[in-house]
Amino acid sequence: MENKMKYVQAFVTSFSVNESSVEGLEYNSIPAWDSLGHMGLIAELEEAFSIQMEMDDIIDFSSFKKGFEILSKYGVKF
Amino acid sequence: MSEAHGFSLNCVQLQDYQPNRYPFLMIDYVEEVIPGKSAKGYKNLTANEWYFPVHFPGAPNMPGALQLEALAQMLTVAITTLPGLKGKVTHALQHRVRFRKEVFPGDKLIIETRVLSWSRGICKGAGSACVNSDVVCEADMLITIPEILEQYLPKRPRR
Repeated sequence: MENKMKYVQAFVTSFSVNESSVEGLEYNSIPAWDSLGHMGLIAELEEAFSIQMEMDDIIDFSSFKKGFEILSKYGVKF
Repeated sequence: MSEAHGFSLNCVQLQDYQPNRYPFLMIDYVEEVIPGKSAKGYKNLTANEWYFPVHFPGAPNMPGALQLEALAQMLTVAITTLPGLKGKVTHALQHRVRFRKEVFPGDKLIIETRVLSWSRGICKGAGSACVNSDVVCEADMLITIPEILEQYLPKRPRR
């Protein structure tokens, strides 16, 4: 599976949303992306891309769009 | 006390690791806690428990919510005995519980919990409580130490 698809799928799995609605997601923009949802998403992404994210990056991971920039720091190419 | 092999906590000692107090402290004794892995112990139920006169008059039994609370408090001890976490406040995030039998005055509620994962302030765990070797309730639990979890959360959306 290509990385973009893996990335989208992590949101779909974590928040039970449709693929078409992930683009505009931000932290706390939907009930599912709360504190617990945030940690679930991070765990999902870490497993999907076999990475271990730093604390600062977990904090900065505040939107779907921002996530591309953060994951690129871990060598994930889109 | 050897943390590698576990240790026990009496009713006074356990309060260093469990912030709940009367009337909401639902565990009496921790027979063995292995920090980050498991905790087991018990709650002795006397007829003097504060909830028996009202739950229910003439037919006292331990409220299911408090059985679950006892499990969660024991699981908490398995986490707060980890280095640096002594006395930290925990919150429940999500529990799934199954009640199997009533618990009555005079019963000894034996509680066993185990940590399935502990990461970034969130503990996933499981536990069960028995009376006379019969399982009375069991639960999958998700608890957090908010002070740690909050360190990992976005402060506001950034674009």
